[in-house]
Amino acid sequence: MIDRRTFLRLGALLGGSTSGTRFLEAMTRIQPAAAGAGAAAVPAAGTAPAAGTLPFPPVDPDARRGGTLRAGQMVGRMEDPATYSWNEMSNQTRPILEYLTMVGPDNVLRPMLMDWWKPSSDLKTWTLHVREGVMWHNGEELSAEQVAWNIRRWTDPTLGSSNLGLATFAALTELTDEAGGKRVQRPLTNGVEVLDTHTLRLNLGKPVLSVPEDFAEYPTHIAHPSFRAPLSKHPLGTGPYTLAQLRVGERCILKRVTRTTDGREFRYWGGDVYLDEIHFYHFEQENQTAALASGSVDATYELPIEELELAQSIPGAQISSVESAQTLCCRMQVDVKPFDDIRVRRALILAADNGAIGSLVFGQYGSAAANYHVAPVHPEYFPLDPIARDVREARRLLSEAGHENGIDLTITVGNNDGPWQQSACEVLRDQVKEAGIRLAVNVVPATKYWEIWKSAPFAATSWSHRPLGTMALSQGYRTGASWNETHFSDAAFDRALAEAEAILDVAARRLKMREVERILRDACVMVQPFWRPVFILASSKVHGYRPHPARQMQLTKAWMS
Amino acid sequence: MSRLAVSPPRGTFAMLVALTWGPLAGFVMLAPALGGATRYALLPAIPAVAALYFLTVARCRRSRIAVIGMSLICFWLLIAVSVPFMHLLDPDKPIAPLALPGTVKHGVFFLLGSDLRGRDMLSRTLWGSQRILVWGITSTATAYLVGAALGLIGGYMGGWWDEAVSFLGNVLMSFPVMVLLILILNLLGQSAFNIIIAVTCSSAPLIMRIVRGLSLDAKSRGYIQAAETRGEHPLYIMLVELLPNVRRPLIIDACLRLGYTTVAITTLTFLGLGLQPPDPDWGLMIKEAATAALLWKYSYMLIIPALSVSSLILGFNLLADGLNDLELRA
Amino acid sequence: MRKLLARRLLQMVLIMLTVSALLFAIFDSDQFRRRIAVAELGGFGVATLSERDYHAWMAKKGLDKPFPVRYLGWLVRIAHGDLGVSLEKDVAVSTLLGESLEHTAVLGLFVFVFMVPIALALGMLAGVLEGSVLDRVISVFSIATTSIPQIATAVLLTVILALGLNWVPSKSAMLEGWSFRELILPLMTLLLYEVGYLVRMTRAAMTEVMAAPYIRTAILKGLPMGRVILKHAVRNALIVPVTLICLSLNGLLSQVVVVEVFFQYSGFGRMLLDAANFGDIEVLQAATLVAVCVAVLSQLLSDVAYVMLNPRLRLA
Repeated sequence: MIDRRTFLRLGALLGGSTSGTRFLEAMTRIQPAAAGAGAAAVPAAGTAPAAGTLPFPPVDPDARRGGTLRAGQMVGRMEDPATYSWNEMSNQTRPILEYLTMVGPDNVLRPMLMDWWKPSSDLKTWTLHVREGVMWHNGEELSAEQVAWNIRRWTDPTLGSSNLGLATFAALTELTDEAGGKRVQRPLTNGVEVLDTHTLRLNLGKPVLSVPEDFAEYPTHIAHPSFRAPLSKHPLGTGPYTLAQLRVGERCILKRVTRTTDGREFRYWGGDVYLDEIHFYHFEQENQTAALASGSVDATYELPIEELELAQSIPGAQISSVESAQTLCCRMQVDVKPFDDIRVRRALILAADNGAIGSLVFGQYGSAAANYHVAPVHPEYFPLDPIARDVREARRLLSEAGHENGIDLTITVGNNDGPWQQSACEVLRDQVKEAGIRLAVNVVPATKYWEIWKSAPFAATSWSHRPLGTMALSQGYRTGASWNETHFSDAAFDRALAEAEAILDVAARRLKMREVERILRDACVMVQPFWRPVFILASSKVHGYRPHPARQMQLTKAWMS
Repeated sequence: MSRLAVSPPRGTFAMLVALTWGPLAGFVMLAPALGGATRYALLPAIPAVAALYFLTVARCRRSRIAVIGMSLICFWLLIAVSVPFMHLLDPDKPIAPLALPGTVKHGVFFLLGSDLRGRDMLSRTLWGSQRILVWGITSTATAYLVGAALGLIGGYMGGWWDEAVSFLGNVLMSFPVMVLLILILNLLGQSAFNIIIAVTCSSAPLIMRIVRGLSLDAKSRGYIQAAETRGEHPLYIMLVELLPNVRRPLIIDACLRLGYTTVAITTLTFLGLGLQPPDPDWGLMIKEAATAALLWKYSYMLIIPALSVSSLILGFNLLADGLNDLELRA
Repeated sequence: MRKLLARRLLQMVLIMLTVSALLFAIFDSDQFRRRIAVAELGGFGVATLSERDYHAWMAKKGLDKPFPVRYLGWLVRIAHGDLGVSLEKDVAVSTLLGESLEHTAVLGLFVFVFMVPIALALGMLAGVLEGSVLDRVISVFSIATTSIPQIATAVLLTVILALGLNWVPSKSAMLEGWSFRELILPLMTLLLYEVGYLVRMTRAAMTEVMAAPYIRTAILKGLPMGRVILKHAVRNALIVPVTLICLSLNGLLSQVVVVEVFFQYSGFGRMLLDAANFGDIEVLQAATLVAVCVAVLSQLLSDVAYVMLNPRLRLA
C-alpha cells in the first residue's frame, strides 16, 4: 500500500496521466498537446473551467465559507513583484497576483494561469497556452499579450529583477557589445512571440529544461500591463483577493473580491474561495509561536525545529511538516589549501555521519542527504548507494596526505536561516574529532556572512528549495556559475549536466542524473548532511494551509472552521 | 567606622580587588583563545574574594545593609572565580530541551531545568555570572578612568581644556542613555569589547562632572597651592595630591554605577546589541526564554536569570546605601 | 532666568547640529550602505549583484552622493519641515515619528499620572514617619524595585500576572485596536522602577527637611503636625523630587525601549531600535534629534523648576 505522496510522485515521474481521480489528470508534469489528456474542451470566457484542470487540492465539501485567517509573518513592502527579495512579500501578494504555474506542497508542478505547454525537441522553443476564462479584477480577460508583457519586463536589465537569474529568462537575453567595450545584457529581439489571444511562444537562446518551474518562482507574479510601482497603490490581479491595507512592518489586510472595478460580478477562475479576509500581522521569527499561543494569530510562517517541542504543548494547535530540498552545504573550496588535496576532503566526508547529523538536529524529521545536492523530493532523483562512515579510512587518507597528527580546520557559519545551521556544524565537529580533524566552528553574524560566503574556504551555506534537481546543480556547481562557492570545475560534470538538462522525459533524465550525481559525490566538494524539514504551526481551526518546501503560503483554498 | 585590631596596610583593598578582577577578566577574555588550562589562573582569586569579603564586613560591621549587599556581591564573585572548577554540565551543549527543574530527562538530571535548546540552566546561570561581572566591572572601571582623567584635566587646568571637555560631556549627556548606547553599539558592531566603549561614553560624562567639581573645589585648598609653589608638574599634582582626596565619594558612586552598568549590559544583551550567543549571559538567557514564555510551566527559564541579575544589582545598591549610611554617621 | 533659557537653547541647537553631522558621517560609510542593501535585497541577492547594478541601485535610492551634499540637502529639507522617507518602511518619517511618539506619550502619560502621586505620597510618608515600621517597609520596597532592572520586572510581572493568573494579556501588540488592558504590564513595569527611585529621593529630602530647625520651631510653637507638614515641610521637600520628575522625562525615553521591545508595543523606543538595526538613516536622524530635544528640554525644565521652587535662588 503506497501512500498518497508516493502515488503522486510516481504519477509525475512516469510523465503521463495515471488512472485515478480526475484531479490526478491535471497533476502530471508534462502534458503534450498530442496526448490531450488535460486539454479539455475550451470553455467560453467568463464561465467556470472544467473541473479537474485546477491546480488546487480537493477541498472538504463541508468547508465553511466566511471568516478571517490571521497569519503571523514579517510584513514587508509590496513595491514591484519582479524585484521581490523576501518570500514574505510574495506570501502577501500571492492571493492577489498569481503565477503561470504552481508548485504544490508535494513538489509537484501544476498548471495555474497557463494550462499547457509544449517544448520543441531541442528545448529551445516553448509554446505556452494561457488558460481561458481567467478574469482580472477590472473585468478583462487574461490574454497571451499580457503574459508576454510581463516576461518582456522581467528581461529588461534596467529593472534589476532577480528573475534574470532564472535559466528561462536568462536564456531570453543575450550579451551584446556596447560602445566602449563593455558587454551588456539585452533582451533577445524575438524572444517572446505572441501567436494568438491565448498562445505565446518563447524562443530561447539556449535549451532550458525548467521553463515551467521557473514560472512558479516567487518573483514571477503576473501583473496587469497597467501596473505601476508600488503595487500597494494599484493592486490589480487575477487572484481572488485584493489589498485593503498595507502598513509595512505592521499589517497587511487582504479582502476577497466580489465585484470587478466596473461593478460586474467577479468570477474567480479557480472556483470557490472560502475566506472573506486574510490578515498578515508582523511578528518576528522568534515571536511567532508565542503570538499563536496567545491567540493573536491563527497560523505562522514557519516553526523552527528548536520550538517544536514547545509548540506541541500549545493546546489547540496543529503542527505539520513536509520534506523539502532545503539543505546545508558545508562546502570546501577545491582550489585552496588544504582542501585542494582530494584526500583531505574525502577524509572529512568519510569521518562524518550524515544520517546522525540529521537525526541529532531534526530528530525523526528530515532525511539524510549524500553530498550530491539532489533530493528525494526531486522528480529526477536517482538514489546512489550510500557511502558508510569510515573513520579508519579517513585517518589513513589524512596521513597519506601528510597530516599524520590530524589537521586543524575552521568552518564559518552565519545562521542565516536559524541556529540549526550552527547545531549541524557542532555535531559535525564532534564527529570528525575521531578522525583527528580538529574543527572549530566560527559563528559570524548573519549579515556578515553574506560578505564572505564566497571567499571563505570552508563554510556552511544554507540553500533553499528548488523544484528540480538540476536547478541547484546548475546554479552552484557548473564551471563559473554565479553561485559556485566551491570553485568546482569539471568538464565531465558540465557535460553530463548539460545532457541531463536536455532530456525532457523524467525517467530518462533520472538515469542520466545517476552519472551527474556520481561525479559530484566522488569529487567530494562538501558535506551536505540532510534535507531540512519545513514545519508550520496553525490553530486547529485552520484548514487547507499546508507546509510548503519553499515556504510559500498558498492560502487560496484555505478555510476556517 | 569600627576598626580592626590591626589596620590593614594602605592599598590592601585595592590590591584584593585587582587580584580578583585581574584573573577573572583574563580568563573571560582569553580563555576562548588559550584553552581551558587558563582556569588555573583563577586560583589566587578565590582566597582574594574571601579576604575581600571579610575585610569589608569587618570595616562595615555597623551597617547591616552594607553587609548584606557585600554578601550578595561576594556570593556571585565567588561563583564566578570558582565555576571552572565545579563539575557542571557543559553550558553550551544541547542535551534535552525543556526539562523542568528538578527532573530527569534523557537520563540527565537538571537541577534548574534546561532551556529551549536543551542546555542546562544551572551551569548557564553560574557561567553567566562571570560574563556579567567581568564586563560590568571592566566597563565601569574604564568609565571611571576616562571620566576622572577628563574631570581632572578640566577642573585643574581650566581655560580651553575645561571648555572642550565640558562641551564633549554635554553632547554625550544630551542623549537619553539607551539611545546613546544603541547608536554606539550599532555603529561599532555588537561585541563585548564595544560594550565597554559604549558604557564609557554614557557614564564618563557624569563622572567627569563630579570629578571636575571636586577638583575645582580642591584647587583652592592649601596643599595644592603648596605643591604649585614647590613647582611640581601639573600631572604630579593631579595624580598624587588631588586624586586621593576625591576618592571617598567616588567609591560610593562606584558601587551605584556598577549597579547601573549591570542593568545596562543586561538590557543591551536582551536587545541583541551586546554579547552574542552562545555566550551564557543572563540577558541572553532572558531573550531566548522570552520566545518560550507561553506557558506557566516554562516560566522558570525567565525567572532564574531575572532573579540572578536582580540579586547582583541589589547587592551593589545595598552596599552603596550602607556605605553612604556609614559616611553620614561618621 | 531669560539668560539661562537662551543659553540652554543655543547649546541645544549646537549639540543637535554636531550630533546630526556625526551620525550622517558615520552612516555614510560603505559598510552601512551594504547593510541596507542586504536588508532590502536579501543576502543571496546582494552577493550576486554585479558592481554596476549595485551602484545603479544605490543611485536609485539616492545613496551615492557624497556626504556633504547629502547632509546639506537634509538640513535644507529639515528647515522646510520635511523629515524624509524611511528606507525600510517606505513611509514619511514624520508620520512614523508622530505615531510612535504618540504611542510612547500615551504610555508616558499614564506612567506620570500614576507615578507622581504615589511616589510623592509614599516618600513623604516615609520621611515624616522616619524610623517606623512603615518607613522601613517603604524603604525596602524602594530599594528592591530600583535594584531589579526593567527587563527582570517585565519578566516577573509577565510570569505572575499573565501566564500564571491570566489576568492580563502577555503582549501589547494592540492588533485589535487600542485597549488599556494590554497597556497594564508595560505600565506596571515602568512604574515600579520609577516609583522606587522617586520614593527614595523624596524620603531623603523629607527627612532632611523634617530635621531642619524651622520645622522643630514650628512644632515647639504648638502648631498641629498636619499644618506643619503641609504648609512648611512639603513645600521645601518638593524641590528635589520635582526636579527629578522633570528629569525623568529623559529617563523615560531610555527605559521605554526595552519595555516596548519586550511587550511588542509599537512606540518610539522600538522604532529607534528597528531603525538602528536596519541602518535607516533618515528615521535615525529624526529620532535622535527628538531624543536630544527631549533630554535638553527636560534638563531645562528641571533647572527652571529648581530655581522657581527654591526661594533662596529665586530671590537671589
